Order: sequence, then C-alpha cells, then structure tokens
Amino acid sequence: MEATSSELSAPESGLKSKIGRLFSRVPIIGWLFGALVAVILEQIVGMPLALALGLPKIPVLFGFVTVLKKPMLVPSTMLFVLLIYFLPIVIIARLSLEPANRLAEKLINFSMEGSVLIHLVLLYAILHIWAEVSDYRLLILKFTLIAIMVTVSLNVINGYMGEFSCSHPGFMALGAYTASVFTVSLFVNDSLFGQALLPSFLGPFLFPLGLILGGCVASLGALLVAIPSFKTRGDYLAIISLAFLFIVKSLIENLEFVGGPRGLSSQPDWANLPIVFAWTVACIWIINNFVRSTLGKALNAVRDEETAANAMTVNTRRTKMVAFMFAAFWAGVAGGLFAHVLRYVNPTTFGIQKLAEVLAMVYFGGLNSVYGSIVGAVSLSILGEALRPLELFKWIVIPLLLILVMIFRPTGLIAFKEFNVKKLIRPKQSPGKEV
Amino acid sequence: MKKGLISIAVACCLIFGLVLFACGPEAPKTIKIGINAPITGDIPKVGEGTKFAAQMWLADVNAAGGLDVGGKKYMVELVIEDNESKAESAVKVNTKMITEDDVLIIVGPQSSKQAVPAGEVANNYSTPMISPWSTNPKTTKDRPYVFRGCFLDPFQGPVVAKFIKKEFGFDKAAVLYDVASDYPKGLAEFFKAAWEDLNGAGSVVAYESFTTKDADFSSQLTNIINSGAQFIFSPQYYNEVALIVQQAHQLGWDKPIVGSDSWGSAETVQLCGKDCYGLFFSTHYAAAAAKGATKEFIDRYNKEHGYVPDDVGALTWDAMRIAQQAIKDCGTITGDLKADRQCVRDALAQIKEFSGITGNMTFNEDGDPAKCAVIVRISDQGEFEFYESVCP
Repeated sequence: MEATSSELSAPESGLKSKIGRLFSRVPIIGWLFGALVAVILEQIVGMPLALALGLPKIPVLFGFVTVLKKPMLVPSTMLFVLLIYFLPIVIIARLSLEPANRLAEKLINFSMEGSVLIHLVLLYAILHIWAEVSDYRLLILKFTLIAIMVTVSLNVINGYMGEFSCSHPGFMALGAYTASVFTVSLFVNDSLFGQALLPSFLGPFLFPLGLILGGCVASLGALLVAIPSFKTRGDYLAIISLAFLFIVKSLIENLEFVGGPRGLSSQPDWANLPIVFAWTVACIWIINNFVRSTLGKALNAVRDEETAANAMTVNTRRTKMVAFMFAAFWAGVAGGLFAHVLRYVNPTTFGIQKLAEVLAMVYFGGLNSVYGSIVGAVSLSILGEALRPLELFKWIVIPLLLILVMIFRPTGLIAFKEFNVKKLIRPKQSPGKEV
Repeated sequence: MKKGLISIAVACCLIFGLVLFACGPEAPKTIKIGINAPITGDIPKVGEGTKFAAQMWLADVNAAGGLDVGGKKYMVELVIEDNESKAESAVKVNTKMITEDDVLIIVGPQSSKQAVPAGEVANNYSTPMISPWSTNPKTTKDRPYVFRGCFLDPFQGPVVAKFIKKEFGFDKAAVLYDVASDYPKGLAEFFKAAWEDLNGAGSVVAYESFTTKDADFSSQLTNIINSGAQFIFSPQYYNEVALIVQQAHQLGWDKPIVGSDSWGSAETVQLCGKDCYGLFFSTHYAAAAAKGATKEFIDRYNKEHGYVPDDVGALTWDAMRIAQQAIKDCGTITGDLKADRQCVRDALAQIKEFSGITGNMTFNEDGDPAKCAVIVRISDQGEFEFYESVCP
C-alpha cells in the first residue's frame, strides 16, 4: 500500500528507488566486471574517441585536470567519461546481474579465500590496465595506495584507540630512511655508502625485508614515545608525539651519513605497482583483522572508558602499547614504499605539512573505520591532484570541504562502520529468483 | 527497461563505430614548454617570479609570431604547474607534463629539494630540463638531460672567501647558518673549506648553526663576538638575514656581515632596513645600475608587476632563453616528440657561449654553466649596487 501511494504521488522518486533497488542487487564482482570492461575499452578506443571529441588526449583523471584549465572541453570530457566509464559499467553491471550473482554464490560456497583472491585479482587487473594508459596515472595510483596505508594505520591510533597522535610522519620518516639505507647501501653504487655489497639481482627479493626492517625501526620509535607518554592522555599525548616528530626530523637533518638536509637519493626502482598493491592489501587485511580481534575490541573499550576497561580485566597499558607499535609498523612500511616510489627522501617531506595531510585524510574519511580511511585517503589524494590547476584556490576548496564534512558529519564520511569482507563480496540476491 | 538498455547499447556501438572511422582534427602546430614552479607552499614569491618571467618571455615570443625553427614559425604554449614546494609534487608535476602534456622541454623546479628528484624523472623520460635556481650538484650529476642556469655552491663558496680576503684582508671568519636547510648548510661547508684553504686550518673561529624558523640568534651571535672573528658569513634567506643582522648590531657587532645569493630578494632591504646598508653579498646579477638587456628586463618587470625582480626571475628568464636557443639550434621540429626532445637536448649540450642577463655562460659535460658571480653592495639607498664581478 505504502509503496503504491509513494509511486503514485512521486513517479520520479519511484523511478529513482527502482533504479536504486535494481543496482543494489549487483554484487561487487558485477561492478568489477563492468570496470574491467571500461578500462579495456579505454585502452582500445580511448585515444581515437578522445581525438574525435576534440580532446588532446585521454582525460587522465576523468578529465578534471584538463577541464579546469580549458573549460571549453567540459562537454566533450563529460561525454567521454559517460561513454567510456559510466555507460559500460552500468550496462555490464546490469546485464551481468544474474550470472554475477550466481558466480558470487558459487565462489563463496567453494572457498572464501579463493573468492577474495579472485576479487583482488580482478581489482588489480582494473588498476593495472587503468594505469597503463599513462605513467602519470601510475604514479598517482602508487601514492594513493601508500596514502591508504598511512591513513588506515593512523586510524588505529586516532580512531580505534581514541588518542590524538601526531608522530605518524615521524614513523614514516624512520621507515623511509631505514628502507632506503638498506637498499642503497646493499645494492647501489652510491657516493654516500660506496660500492654495492650484494649483486643487484637479489635486490627485489630482499626489498620486502628492507620494508619490514623499516617498519620495525618505526615500531621501536613508537615504543620510545609510548613508554613515557602512556602515563598521560589526550592533549599530553598529542604534544609528546608532536615532539617526537620534531626529534626525528632534527635527528635526520643532523645525520650526515644519510645526507642530512640535502636528502638521500638514488633508491632503486623496485616499488612497482604489484608490489605497492600487494603491501596495501596486506596492510588493510591485517589491520582489519587486528581491529576486529579481541585486542581491537579492547582498544575500543580503552577509548570509551579506560577505568572501566581496566576493571573489566583489559590490560590497558599493554593494549595501547601494542596498538601504537602496530600502527607505527605500518606507517614505517608505507614510508619505505614512499621513498622507493619517489626515489628521494629528505627530512622536510615528513614535517607538519605531511601530518596535516594524513590527519585530514583520517578525519575526512571517518574515525574508527577502515572503510572510511580508504575513502578518505583516495578522495583527498585524487582531489589534491585533480584541483592542482587551481593553484592557490585549491587550498581554499579542500579545507572548505573538510569544514563542511566536519559540520554535517562530525566523525567523518563513513565512521564507525565495520569493513566486512564477507558481506562485501557475497551475492546480493539468491540465484534463480527473478524480481 | 531491457529495451531501453539495448537501445543505449546500440547507440554506444554506433558512436564507437563513428569514432573509429573519424579522423581527429589536425593538432595545431605549437611547441609546449613546461614550467614546474612552487606557486603555493613555503616559497610562493619564488613561484611568482618564475611564472611572471616565463609569461613575459611567452608574450615576447608570441608577439613575434612564434618561435622560428628552421624557417618555420611555431606558436609556444606554456604549461605552468604548481609543485606546492614539495618533492613528491614536483615529481608528479614533471611526470604529468612529460607524459600528459607532451612538453618539449621543462624549466624548473627551482629549489634543490625538488629539482633533485624531478631531474631523475626528466632524465628517465629523456626529456631536457633546465633548473634555473638549483645549486645542489646532485641535480645535474650523471644526468645528461638535466641542465641548470646558475652557478653551483662549490663555486660560490670560494668566490666569497677570495673576495673577503682581497677586499678586507681578514683571516678570522665566523659562519652562521641553518643546519636544517640544504642550501645554507651546503654553502656554509663549501665556504668553510675554501676559507681554511686560504688561511689555514682553524681560521674559521666560530661555526654556529641554528634550525629553520628560529628567530633568536643571540646565543650564537654572542659566541661569534667572543670568538674574535673579523666578519660573519651567513648564507641565509631574506627573512632570517634581517633578524641576524639586526640582532648582531644590537649586541654591538660593527664588523662586516657577508651573504650569498639567497640575500638577493627585494624583501631583504624592506625587512632589514638601515641595518643592511653597506653589506656585501655574492649573487647572480645586480639590479641597480644594470645595463643593456638586463636593465630592459628589470624595467619591464617592474612596470608590469610593480617590483624589482629578484634573481629567480632573472635566472628563469635566462633559462627560457636558453631553451629558446636550443630549440632554434635544433633546426627542425618533426612532431615525433622523442626525436625532438633528443634533438633539443643535444642542442642544449652544444651551446658554447650564451649571453644572458645574468652573465655569459657555457655548459660543461654535467650540464652546469660556467658563469661569473657578482659581488653586490647594498647601497645607502637600499639598492643592490654592482661592486665587482668574479669569474671562474
């Protein structure tokens, strides 16, 4: 009864909800198929289509970068995005609704791990083909993936633990420098460290070791902050962690053997897309498991009321320490990858500006939510790149957006939402049931 | 619903079919030059100077009907991108300009912390790049595609040391520098080495440092005064120069304070006032009493933008003209970007003599120019007066 009346009174909203219902039944694998077709389509007909529409090249970031410089290209860019991305994705998603749901059902019944793996492979294929169009895309993609790692790991402290930590760029710096020193001193003929000690073919195999080493050094740094500061809470931790950030920065500036303020360059080019993607997936997976484990729940308890948590037999001190070091580890790994994507590090990169960037990503995306962190990191990274032609106005638009988000959603876009992989990849309707 | 979808699909197929057969419009014959400048971030004034100088150059070239290459005129388009004064953004911007905007040559980035990683990108993509202002040797070292428009720190340090020795005959130096910033630190080291070379070990009697954004230098200055130094060398940026000079005078220091090319900003005298009158520094060019093309450039810039350009503007102007010269020397623009970039790079390396507004220069095999430094005296009217020229 209610449905009919609403349909009668507002046919438009009826249509909208109909479309919404239609597409809410598309499982994630259906969307992935759609996106895969779209990127392949772009690869094949993108260039001639762009030329025919009067565009100089394939719009690299869905047209934002070109459109802001040449507003005349808005209609043709929109048409391009519509033809290459929007329509194929929507059509494929709709057409493959039945088979995709059946496939998702089969996969999940067969094996959960296998199903996740297939989804990831599809996702990687999409990103790979998308990035193949231009090296600029590839670079942005790598930095975005790294930003995701940093944001998710900071969310463990600032979101799940509810403390305000400012030392994350410091942990990144520790990881970046440790990993760089590891690879440069072992595998590169460099003026700072002299001859390579090991043959370079071993490099890519030992590179993960360097990253893990970077993460471990960052964890050690975290321990140094944690021991004195976890006697305090709130503002005090913020100040101590900020002090730590400055200590790390000054330390590196004064360490002559890593180049001091001039920075360290000539890192080997090993952080390619598969490597960065694999580390990001591992990071999200492990952190997601961590925050959903008993320890993660204990962390939430500590955030909500430390005394009560203590009374409920939670070892609050140990919980906080572990979480802090764990988050620092991932920041260190992200820092190591960052250094090898940029192939240059200097201490000023890891200053207050980086801190503001990472904090903005966490609070924009949403506290206490892996989902939110991914959304925050991706949207701010892409936004920062897309709005570059605005120059100074970029720094008005992005903060304004942040203010708006803080007013209307004080905890961020997608806060307090569990990232449930099983829920995400399961079929959205039971097979054989036509609606 | 199904019918609608099918019709959309058919329409798509038709459009794609058309696209595959249609020919794109002929691209206009233009040469694109990328400008990688710090328009926002820590040093926006540097970015502004870069942008203004490049735009003035563009206006000149396009007013003449374009760039004349092998008897054919090409219009020039500038791709100006903001690198936010961040290393990773400079890398992103260079990648974008090379792969997306198809620039023939890149001018910028300015500071070494961006020019070092960005030069790596340009070199990897075999695209010529000229950094007008970066003085770090690493920017161009072992990178055949990267050039610069200014002299290096290892040259400037000895220039200042020799000038002071000759001018004043001093033998006890004090150095005050920012340990956390790459440019002052590098230059302080080169100066110290050069001074000790001239006067023997231990002749730098005070070697004091501070950290970026420090504003109180009284303890370092007291140490310097007590050390018996005869002058202070301080290779700092304009905002710190004012503080250092004023605080030194308040503490009773009345001997010379000598600076480097980072002093050469219009802001130095504005912030420092009378305290800076009569001091010397080494730089790329002297604005006051300039002659010929240099004066023309300064007057025009002053008229268009309302202030006397600092060295960044002048060096960018020169870098743009070097790029123009190289494109001209290349002889033909084939439209094949890879070949054209190679051709421009080879032409750049071939430039023997170039007379710019910041002096004559030739490039060595590393892509660094050999050019003269200028010693400037800040006059009693607060202008940068030419004092003498020191050539390698």
